[in-house]
Amino acid sequence: MKKYFRLWLVLSVRSFETFFVSRIGAALFLTGKILRFIFYLGFLVLLVSKTKLLAGYNLWQVVLFYLTFNFIDSVTQMFFRDVYRFRQQIITGNFDLLLVKPVNSLFRVLFGGTDFLDFITLFPFVIFLVYAIAHLSHVTPFGIVAYIILLANAFVIALSFHIMVMGLAILTQEIDHAIMIYRDFTGMGKLPVDIYREPLRSAVTFIIPVGIMMTFPVKSLVGLLSLWGIITAILIGLIFFLGSVVFWRYALSQYTSASS
Amino acid sequence: MNLKKYWLVASNSLQEYFVYRLNFILWRVRVVVSMLITYFLWFAVFSSSKQVFGYSENQMLTYVLLLSFMNSLVLSTQTFRIAEEINMGTLSMYLIRPVNYFSYNLARDLSDKALNVIFSVIEFIILILILKPAIIIQSQPSFIFLFLGATTLGAILYFEIGIILSSIAFWSYETWAPRFIFFILVSFLAGNYFPLDILPGPLFHALSYLPFSYLIFFPLKLYLGEASGGFIIQGFTVVALWIVGLYFFINYLWAKGLRAYTSEGQ
Repeated sequence: MKKYFRLWLVLSVRSFETFFVSRIGAALFLTGKILRFIFYLGFLVLLVSKTKLLAGYNLWQVVLFYLTFNFIDSVTQMFFRDVYRFRQQIITGNFDLLLVKPVNSLFRVLFGGTDFLDFITLFPFVIFLVYAIAHLSHVTPFGIVAYIILLANAFVIALSFHIMVMGLAILTQEIDHAIMIYRDFTGMGKLPVDIYREPLRSAVTFIIPVGIMMTFPVKSLVGLLSLWGIITAILIGLIFFLGSVVFWRYALSQYTSASS
Repeated sequence: MNLKKYWLVASNSLQEYFVYRLNFILWRVRVVVSMLITYFLWFAVFSSSKQVFGYSENQMLTYVLLLSFMNSLVLSTQTFRIAEEINMGTLSMYLIRPVNYFSYNLARDLSDKALNVIFSVIEFIILILILKPAIIIQSQPSFIFLFLGATTLGAILYFEIGIILSSIAFWSYETWAPRFIFFILVSFLAGNYFPLDILPGPLFHALSYLPFSYLIFFPLKLYLGEASGGFIIQGFTVVALWIVGLYFFINYLWAKGLRAYTSEGQ
């Protein structure tokens, strides 16, 4: 464990150094991310100020859904940025070089490039989250604990999705957009999944568990999720994680080292 | 002008898409998912109100469903490849060929648009059959004509902006970051999430002088038939001025860029 933490630290420092190679580009990307966040937040505030409620949720609850989505999305992108470059390693055959190293290959490809642009955005998100939670009524200590547990569960599901996308890259070599499709589907969670009509709502809650990742934490915080709902969410998270590891092992067994 | 060679460029460009079929289909899945988020957001808004920001449910859902079509027709582009060709030095190959490089890019863009439009029409029909929204079918020929005219001008404007953004490559390798910021601006300020006239008056007024609103919002507003004579005249005047102004700016920028171009990488 200690060895892997040290390895992650070394890889992260290297990644941080690349940040300074193209400072203007990094600053512009960061500006773009901040603009996107502010524009959509402004839109939601404008909309819900006018309608008072969205699918039964008030303004601060809607804002909290959006902030929770952004927090989970940023943490995920921060840790798993190298997954976006994984396909390139497969089609060039460079993945061979990682397989022969005395490190778990899954760990190496998952955590190989921590993105500091997303790291920078995390602090404002946490401050915003605390500020938005302070504006909610009837928040209990149980709700806060459940919120934190379900955030952790969301990261486990996100991790599982990234593992599955990498498995797909090994098996198909063609899928460029798989990770972006994951991001678009999770983007459905920037709003409470209650706004979607059935059967889409059930699909984005349980089949592609965007609802469990993004909506359930806030629902638990505002007391709209039962204990059974929380337990079910954790079980689904565990099943996803185990399934993704099994899938990764299968994909690895099919790796043909093409192009190398 | 020999159009046959540009037809061949468009045809070749189209064939490239069929090499990576799965990628293209997945791209369309992404477009539909993004559109569904906006659709259901507005659907939820109208579940408790008959009219929001002066729009009825029919008008708003028609606006949202047509976004995918407008994105395919106006915002789909291949102009980012110009930046790659400048940075890789492959622009030199085009400069010595008996083709007009801008027409060459226009041909690539048209094939891109054609394929995306075909898919967006199919998706539109499928979504109408599944979601069964009460959409507005514009029946007045004058508004249909104005809508098509504004859409064409929007596509020309976006093509010009695409060339300008790619021209940055003459001086810098950082071409994706400015394009990313521009994409974010277009997403919100062109009306890709909501009609711009729901914004506070002064902000909407200021936006009406920028090019963004003429890419999506202005044509769709004409399609909905919700446009006064003054709005139409002002809109066409502003977009025409932007197109002419950017045309001269591109000529200036390209001439300056070619002087800075070193064909690096070749």
